Amino acid sequence: MHNISQRKRTLLKVIVLGDSGVGKTSLINQYVDKKFSQQYKATIGADFVTKEIQVDDKLVTLQIWDTAGQERFHSLGAAFYRGADCCVLVYDINIQKTFDTLNNWHDEFLKQADTNDPEAFPFVLIGNKVDVDGGNSRRVTEKKARNWCASRGNIPYYETSAKEGYNVEEAFFCVAKIAQENEHVQDIFFGGISESVSEAEQQQQPSRCAC
Amino acid sequence: MNPSEITRRMYNSTNCDTDDAKYERALLSRSEITHGEHPLSLGKTSVWNLFFQDTEIIEQIDRDVKRTHPDMHFFSGDSQFARSNQEALKNVLIIFAKLNPGVRYVQGMNEILAPLYYVFKNDPDEENAAFAEADAFFCFVELLSGFRDNFVQQLDNSVVGIRSTITRLSQLLREHDEELWRHLEVTSKVNPQFYAFRWITLLLTQEFNFADILHIWDTLLSDPDGPQETLLRVCCAMLVLIRKRLLAGDFTSNLKLLQSYPTTNISHLLYVANKFRVQSV
Repeated sequence: MHNISQRKRTLLKVIVLGDSGVGKTSLINQYVDKKFSQQYKATIGADFVTKEIQVDDKLVTLQIWDTAGQERFHSLGAAFYRGADCCVLVYDINIQKTFDTLNNWHDEFLKQADTNDPEAFPFVLIGNKVDVDGGNSRRVTEKKARNWCASRGNIPYYETSAKEGYNVEEAFFCVAKIAQENEHVQDIFFGGISESVSEAEQQQQPSRCAC
Repeated sequence: MNPSEITRRMYNSTNCDTDDAKYERALLSRSEITHGEHPLSLGKTSVWNLFFQDTEIIEQIDRDVKRTHPDMHFFSGDSQFARSNQEALKNVLIIFAKLNPGVRYVQGMNEILAPLYYVFKNDPDEENAAFAEADAFFCFVELLSGFRDNFVQQLDNSVVGIRSTITRLSQLLREHDEELWRHLEVTSKVNPQFYAFRWITLLLTQEFNFADILHIWDTLLSDPDGPQETLLRVCCAMLVLIRKRLLAGDFTSNLKLLQSYPTTNISHLLYVANKFRVQSV
């Protein structure tokens, strides 16, 4: 790498949770690689990607943890959740059950993450798969989702299509923004093997994320 | 009144909103359906209630079977052939879940079943290939008997669960390459759970291409020490083979490297793994 010296950057750790099949891996890959595949293998344990973006005047590194959806893997969460700056909850707007389990994911995360101030911990809710069947198979209304967000301390809400790349960038920009308010400044060594995803991106984004 | 009529009346009186279509699907004739045993029963012993509880697990199996080796025509896609193979995988996983209520279905079992079924289905003797589903089932049961505990949440913190298996890998690495162990776990703070969880629970099936998986599995399944011990040695060898890159890497680069393991010479990997046995004897 060109810069061996240690630089102080903002590292934001983001955990993505939600039921199996709601599109967590697809969302992350659409955001990081601008790609969509119909067929990702099921995520086992947790996968890990990074992306650098500019938020206001600051360069931040998002460290995004993609988790397994099945309940069996919950108990292994603690190791992954520790030190998180933001938690993204994902559900499928076409499947009621994936919305009903949001309370579990929310509470289980706070229980295991061991955060300083659970009340104030930043979450973002994403309702994915708005493209399916032209919106005709929707089971959860936007109003219902927004009500849930309001009842959980005004969680920002985004409806996305990972398949079409709709609103994905906006949702994750909001994640970065509110995670930064909760930031952990850490020393990161930038050395060793570089990955294609680590190019800094200049982004034109709306300046606020509350919706 | 005949028994069938009694059953029908009891049925109707306890369930106001009965749905004809629902119980007509039942295989039992009406006279054989006892009062406690009908599709809307909520009783704990009701096979019907159990059936509906199973629906969730069957949906999960279906979702995962469809995304097993999405890059291979054998498993994936809309062809008749792929569909019949998916159907076979589904059957095996559902039966396993039913017969093992303490384990049920855990995501990733599809990946372990896939190589077994593939090998049986591709038997050059058509007569053998015809029984691929049954053969794969029994081998799957046999293989999981040694790895089952990794899938059971209740055992996560026990001496036989996945955490302790991962700890054994960590100890094996420390024994054979303390410098690498120290750099990984102490300096760059890569918790082995972040990569080894998948390596171990899936028997490396998501880390390599399919031909390489079969190559590694030949060793796992034939080693007299058994698949679990052999697997840990192979995992340890995987770490040691890329030690130079790992020693130069930080948390992020190391974790990325370990989560998408580079293409490697499998024969050499197995050779290195085998050497760890000789040393530890």
